[in-house]
Parts: sequence; C-alpha cells; structure tokens
Amino acid sequence: MSSGKRKRHYKDIKCVFFPDDAENGLQKVGKEPRPHSSASSAKSWEKCGDSFQDSPVMKNLKPSGRKLSDMRKMAQSSVQTRADPCNEDPVHIAWSSSDGEQSDDEAQDQQQQRPQRPARHTAPVQSYTRALRMLSTDKDDLPIIDTDSDLEESEEDVEKDSGQQISDCDSEKFEEKPEDLPLTPSNTAELEISGYVSDGEHIDAMVTKSRPDSPLQSGEGGRKSIRDWVRSAQAMLQTPQKLPSNMQSKTPEDSAKKKRKFKSGGLAERLNRLQCRQRSAVSFWRHQSISEATATVDRPGVLVLEVLEVHEECSMQLVHCEHQQPPGEGHQQRDAPPEDRACLLVLFNRDTAAQLILVPRDIVHIYPPWQSLSIEGSSCDIILNTHFSQKVSAATKPANMSLPQGLLSAARCNPYSLCKTFGLLQECRTAEERNTKQTAASDAPYSAGGSGVLTRHRLSLLEAIEGLGQAGSMGQDVEVAVQRVYSIPVPDCSPVSILKPRLPTRSSSASPLAAESKHRLCVLVQDGYGMFSVVQLHLLPCKDDLRQYCHMWQGRTCVLRGIKVVQRVTRERSSRLFSLIDSLWPQEMPLRDHGNTLSVSSESRPAGPAPSFCYLLSGQESSVERTEEQTVSPLYLPPKKRTLRDILQSEIKTCRCSFDATVLYKRIIQSSDVGQREVWLVLTDPSVQQEQPERSCRRTVALCVSTSCALTSSVVDALNSPAACRMSFRDAIGEHGVLLCVEQSVVEICSSDPEGNTGFGSESQLLPEKKTLPKPVRLDPLSPEVIPNSLCSLSGVIVGVDENTAYSWPACNHCGSDSLEMIAEKPQNFSCVSCQSSLDKPDTRIRLEVFLSSSMSNCTLKVKLQEKTIMSILNTGALEGNEFPGYDVENVLGKEVGPLAVYVRVVTRKPALWIGLEEICL
Amino acid sequence: MRSLLPAVAEQLFRDIQKAYQETSQIPDDLLIALKFVFGPCALQALNLVDQHSVTCLSSSSGRKAFQVIGGSGRLYTCFVSCHYCPCPAFAYTVLRRNEGPLCKHILAVYLCQAMAVTQEESVSDQQMSAVLSGTALP
Repeated sequence: MSSGKRKRHYKDIKCVFFPDDAENGLQKVGKEPRPHSSASSAKSWEKCGDSFQDSPVMKNLKPSGRKLSDMRKMAQSSVQTRADPCNEDPVHIAWSSSDGEQSDDEAQDQQQQRPQRPARHTAPVQSYTRALRMLSTDKDDLPIIDTDSDLEESEEDVEKDSGQQISDCDSEKFEEKPEDLPLTPSNTAELEISGYVSDGEHIDAMVTKSRPDSPLQSGEGGRKSIRDWVRSAQAMLQTPQKLPSNMQSKTPEDSAKKKRKFKSGGLAERLNRLQCRQRSAVSFWRHQSISEATATVDRPGVLVLEVLEVHEECSMQLVHCEHQQPPGEGHQQRDAPPEDRACLLVLFNRDTAAQLILVPRDIVHIYPPWQSLSIEGSSCDIILNTHFSQKVSAATKPANMSLPQGLLSAARCNPYSLCKTFGLLQECRTAEERNTKQTAASDAPYSAGGSGVLTRHRLSLLEAIEGLGQAGSMGQDVEVAVQRVYSIPVPDCSPVSILKPRLPTRSSSASPLAAESKHRLCVLVQDGYGMFSVVQLHLLPCKDDLRQYCHMWQGRTCVLRGIKVVQRVTRERSSRLFSLIDSLWPQEMPLRDHGNTLSVSSESRPAGPAPSFCYLLSGQESSVERTEEQTVSPLYLPPKKRTLRDILQSEIKTCRCSFDATVLYKRIIQSSDVGQREVWLVLTDPSVQQEQPERSCRRTVALCVSTSCALTSSVVDALNSPAACRMSFRDAIGEHGVLLCVEQSVVEICSSDPEGNTGFGSESQLLPEKKTLPKPVRLDPLSPEVIPNSLCSLSGVIVGVDENTAYSWPACNHCGSDSLEMIAEKPQNFSCVSCQSSLDKPDTRIRLEVFLSSSMSNCTLKVKLQEKTIMSILNTGALEGNEFPGYDVENVLGKEVGPLAVYVRVVTRKPALWIGLEEICL
Repeated sequence: MRSLLPAVAEQLFRDIQKAYQETSQIPDDLLIALKFVFGPCALQALNLVDQHSVTCLSSSSGRKAFQVIGGSGRLYTCFVSCHYCPCPAFAYTVLRRNEGPLCKHILAVYLCQAMAVTQEESVSDQQMSAVLSGTALP
C-alpha cells in the first residue's frame, strides 16, 4: 500500500501548504460543481511549485509505480466482492476506481468504475480525515487525466507510470498553465493538477464521469445520512440501465478485429460487408436509443415481449418470452387471456444480453430487422438477430435489487452432447442414402430449365449467372452455342486486362505488327433464350492456336462450367461488341422464353429487339467443353462472306461483315497516342475491280486494323512482307465507307486454294463469282471526294517543287544505311558504320516532293515521288558524275508525270482542297 | 432445460441447404443469422468454404472423415459421427468454456455439406486408419 500512502502523504502535504485549498477540497466534496477562480488556483500552483522543491516526501513517489499491478489485483478482488461497498475501505474503492480507468477496454472494468463514484460521495459525511483520504483516493484519477502530457504513450503505459507522472512534472510548467484551469468546474484540487494538460477530450471524460444523470447527484446536498448515500450507491451498482452507455462508442467486435483478406466475391467477403453494415447500424441505433429517453413502439414490426424465463447457452441467452400488446393499444396486457399470448423464444447474443440484463417479467422491445426461425418439429419460433433490443421497464424496483440478477439468474444450460451431430452429417453416414439424396436434390433445379426431360445442364445463361451469387464459380453447367471464337491482345498479361477488357486497346504499347504481346482466347456464346455472353478464357500459348479453337468450338453446342462473372456490359458502353451481337440477330431459330419454359418447342416468341446487355465472364480452358453432338448448333449463325462491292453498297451505316480481299498496300500509322500503332490496309477484290458501267463503287477500300484486334503471327509475317497477299477478314466493322478490324474481328491468311475459305469453321460460303484480280490492279482516279488512306491513280504536270524537302544523300549500297564515314587515307572512299563495308562509290539517294496540277481544279496536290520517278524527270546523267552540280528547278517544272499509283496521306478541305499524296509501288 | 442451440443450428443448415439448392447462393438474411448464432466463427468458416478447404475422405470400406485445411495450412480431421476438432479453439471455446457450439472447422464442414461443395477424395483403408487414429502425416 505504499502507493496509497504516498497519495495520502501528498494530499496531507498539500493541505499543509494550502490551507485554503484544503478547505476548497472539502467544500467540493460536499457540493460538487463549484467553479474555481483561476486566480486562486494560480496562487496555489505557485505554492505548489515551492512545495515540490522543498518537500522531501515527494521522493517517495518514484517506487510507487511498480506496486500498481498488485494494487490492481487487490482492486479486482475487492470489486468482485463489492456486494456491500459501504463496508469497504475507501482506499480499496479508490484503487478499484483507478483500475477501472486503466483498462477501459474491458467491459468488466468499466462496470467496476461504478462503485467508485458512490464512494466519493460518501466522503462528505465522514470524518475530516476520511474526507482527506477520499480526496487522496480521488487523486488517483490524476495520473490518468495527465495522460495527454505524453501523447505517445499508450494508455496502459500511462497507467503504469501514473505514480511518476506527478514527480515528472516540471514545476515551471505548472506556473504557466493556470489559465487553463477554469475549464473544469466540477473538481478543485484534482483538476488543478490535471488541468495543465487536460484538453477537451479529457474534460469530456470528466464530464461524462460526473454525469448529472446518475441518481446519486440528484440527491445531492451533503446532508443525507451515510446510509442514504450507501443505498443510492448500491442502486448505482445494481441498476445498470445506463451502464451500456459507456460501451456505446464501441460496438461488438469492432475492436481488436484483424484485417483479413477474403476471397473476392466469396461468401466470407459478403458476410464481412453485411457485418460491417450491421455493426454501424447497431451502433447508430444504440446511440439513438440512448439519446431518446422514451422508447417508441409506434414503428411497425416492433416485438413487445415479456420475459418469462432466461437461460444461458453457449454464451448466448435464450429467453422465453410472451407476446405483449404494444403499450399504445391499451395497458391491459396482464388481463389478456393467456391463449392470446403467443410464446416465443428469443436468442440474445452476449453483447445484447449484457446490456439488457433481463430478468423474468421484464418488458423488452425488439426492433426490426429481427429474424424469425421456425424449427421443424417445434411449435415455438425463435427470434434471431436481436441486436436492436431495448428493455423498457424493469421488473423490479432498482432499490430492491441486490445485484445484476439477470446474469446470475440465467440458468446455464448443460452443454449439448457432442455425440449428437446435426442433420447434414448424419446424412453423410450412409453413403448410398446420401448419394440418392444428392442426385435428387441436384436434379430438382434443372427440371425447371429443361422441357420436361431432366437435363444435366441449365439452358439459361441468365439463370446460371443469377445462381452464381457471390460464391464464385458456377455450380451448374450451362449449355450454349458458341457463336464466335476470337482472341484479344493482352499487353502485359496483367490481371487488370481481364477486369477491364476495354483498357488494353488503349494501353497497349505493343505494335500489332510486333509479335511479343500475348493473346487471350475469347468466345461469344449464346443460350437458347437468345442471351449472349463473352467468355474470356486462357492466354493462348501460341497465337496461331486460335484456328484450332475455332475448329473445335465455333458453331458447336458447348457446356460452360466454372465461370465467373466479370462485368455486365451494356449496349451503350460497348457498342462494338453489340454490333457483333446485332449481326447475329434476329435468330432464325425460335428462342425459348424465360416465362414459358415448359412449352418451348411448340411456341416461339417473335424476334424482339436484340438484347441490350450481356455478361462478360471469365473461365479457364476447361470451362468450355463441347457436347457429344457432332452437328452444328441450330443457334449458330456463321459469318457470311460478302464481296467488297456488296459491303460498300450496303445501306446499313455500321455493320459487321466478313469477306476475303487482297491487300494491295499496308501502312503502319503511329497515332498521337504514344505507343499506339494502327495498321492501314488497302484492299480490293474482284467484285470491285471488274468493269463497272455505273461507276458506283470504289475499286479499293481502306481497312484499319486497330490495336485491339489480335493478329496471328502468320498474318503479321504476311503483312511485313512486301508481296500482296490475300486475306480473310471475319466480323470487321463497316463504318462510313471504311472498314475496321477491332476486338472481335479475326484476320487470317487465305489458303492458296480459293475454295478453302473455311478457316474459321464457317460454312463455305461461295462467292457469287470467282474472279481473279486484273493485273495491274485498277485504281480510281483521284477525285475531290477522296478519303485519306486510300489508293488512287494520278497523272499531271509538275507546277512546283518543295525545295525544303528536296535533297539527296549518299547511302551504303549494301545495307542502305546513310551513316557513312569518310576513310581518312582515301578521301574518295567511305566505310559504312552499320555494315562495316568500305564503299568506293556509295549510292545516291534522292528525295523530291512536287506540286502537280491535274484535271482537278482549285486543288493543291503535293506528291512525294519515288526514286525511279525522280530519276526519270531529272537528268540522271548528272548524278553519275563526281561533282554533283545540283539541279535547277526550271528543269523539272512543266514535266508530265503519271499515271502514278498514289497513297492519300492527308486531305485538307479548308480553306481549299489540299491533298498530300505519296507515290507507291504496287 | 433442453439445449436449443443445436436445433437452431440444424434448422439454419437445412435452410441454407434448401436455399443453395434452389438459387446456388446463400441469401443475406441466412448469412446474418449464421453470424448471429455462431458469432465470429461464421465469417472464418465461410472463408474456409470459399477456399474450398473441406475435403471428405472416404475409404473403400466405407469409412468417412472430413479434413479441413485451417487458415495456417494445418489439416484438421473432423469426424462424421461426433463433433470433435483437434483445433485449439474447439478445446477452449467449445469444450472448456462452452461459449460456442462449434469451431470454425466443423462449421465449415456443415456449410460445405449444405452447399454440396465438399471436395471428395478416396483414400485407402490404410490411409483412413492413419487419419482416424491421428497418425497420418499432415
């Protein structure tokens, strides 16, 4: 008890040094809220400073701290026997109080806090020395209030250090601080010390502690007998109605909660979310129910119950209740005939039970959302989820209660027998029985989807997706028709690309002509109800495997399993995907109707509008499995090969189309976005090359392969080679006279066999006329309507030369590099930096851009010429000579060129038509 | 008084089984009820279900036992015929303090059974006897 003694010593000293304060202290104990002038406290602080310097007694302070743990033990034991606190030594109570302060994370200790307060109030009617002792015991609160002096310290550390806190204080500091003191009106001496550090929070703490709502303070006045005080103290101890208010700030389980990672989309994640929501709802509700003095039952769904029996089982309370009429409907509950009172069983969890502390004949209100569980073979319903419960009237008067009866009176049930397992495991005991049960159970949901016959698979994607829930992979298989198989580029194989399927098109840094990017296999599937879904599958180990998967799956009936939902895609958000879906709509085959599953085959619904949404799913290679049927699915709509002429003359503005065409020219365009490259192809086919009397159609078509279109390596090779090649395009988009290959489009090399255009597993769709291209290919003459990235033919007269871009330079005749070095010994000779060869006579490269006048008037045509054309218009003999004199512009002007095959680079129509062209070699 | 929690738990499992068979998911209110009855165990058990941690071993002679991979990766063998789990939580919470009806592993077994997502594995009689007698290597 050295610590306790120390405290008393300190108080004694203080009393000696500040007799006026001692008086104050006394008065304060008598009448609590006595405002203290800052001047007097300042004075006492000054004196206090002196006393600290002089008093040798203060040295005793140091060792006190280590005894605290012992003290705490004592305190706890004293609290456990706190049935009659008036018999307690006040010092004990004091310690229990300080202890209660210390471990505020333990509800028990919070309860212990209670007894301390009445003890303080018993003081004034005791002897003077007792009062002093009481003051000194109250002093034990000081160190705790001081906690903020060291913000870094955890509360517990502060508790341990509490003994030293005062001795550590700098007395100078004390003298500076007195202005802060008047903030704490309820205490005098204690708070004078505490005041120098107390901030708002601590004052709050103090204020809550001396809340005026405790029944004690209502009976204030200091004249009551000690017995009265003790009685009211007992009442305080035993009517814990307000007790939960200390715990209000904390709701069950939100402290000491480990942050756990749950499987995304899993049940645990979902429950965790629900739990968080519920937790905040509960704390909000408790806060509200505390602030509202009276309970309202006018809300619907409130259960008003009278407690009959309380049992405790597995830390929960099982309460037998009787239904009561809500108070608003009259107060004759007790007179109601017993048959009208329904019997209910209510489960309260530990937290709620600790707050309610129910005893028989209590009235409890249970607010929604409670749940009712009816147990098979039992007449009583069980009410669960009773977080929102409130005790509205206690059965007995607080004064008559001796202890928290609820906790004691709850009869503990014997633990249930561990040998008695619950139903599900018992099923497991006999394997055969379980098997039959399981098959019966698993068949049940399918029967709704099938048409009378039990099928193993669901037929509706929507049902299967709804059935997915949050549990992860799909439990049931769905039967679908694979409409398309394609691949999408995955820039860096990051999982992000799966989640955000539209991003790779923008973030892709890999050129479509580079071979490093990986491709992900995708299938567009459709169920019997017409619903579409895109399933993203595994990465293709080799890009050319796509063909194999096309052969395997496209057009077939397959079973989807182990699929997860990634995204719901709407028409607005993904117009490209829906342009493909639209091309597969309306279905020629009658579709099933969700509302009318049983009469599927007989009735078909009229083809409505194409679906406005679909699902993006993800799965593994094993997620798609072909059914046994060898035939093509009746739902399958193969890509119909059309001629370019047909496509160009099509009325529809935007459509998906498939065709074979010859690539005349290819060009890689670096767009303004860094790293994004598109490939422009100029295509033609016999249908547009043939003689057209009405001249309605262009002879070449530009096609842009966007970065979102995955190209197989054989296509990339073909495009990198200079030769013209014939290619097959599936599901390209035709838009405003330009063709576009995007995500769902597939480009393939046409096999040499003209009949072998079944590359995508499509049915061979014979072209109306099999014609070969004329040689040379015919091009449209340049016209004002020309669009960029197209080809045309041009002839005209040179009217000007762009002198800024006209120059010639030597280049290595082996490798073409222009980085040549002069050899020092032989000034006439060069060595190539890149191929290390020495050159006697390097090639001369020449570049010339000229302005042409053609049949088109009011139009500026700037043409970048090819070398052979330049040579033909220049006096090439001069180039051969050793001294290169340069050319005169006049020599070039007026020369006729053409017809040239030109590529249209830029078309500017304002302020005047200006076309930038580049001569090409076909 | 008759212990009622087992009946509540049993009914909850039946409801979950029914709901899962019909909709392939567990509705929110059943999750909340599960949480209410089993406390923090429920969340951990659902996590185990999500991780597909429950395997039902069956031997050729027809014996069965459940193996649950705990959060730490340890294997816990739970029995078909009675409630027992070698985990510390079972020893403390269920056996010693009687504060909960089940530990998370047994709860996970029940949930997996209700959802029919228990992994099935056949073992030899020899392996099964090692598992049941606790001499199997983890």
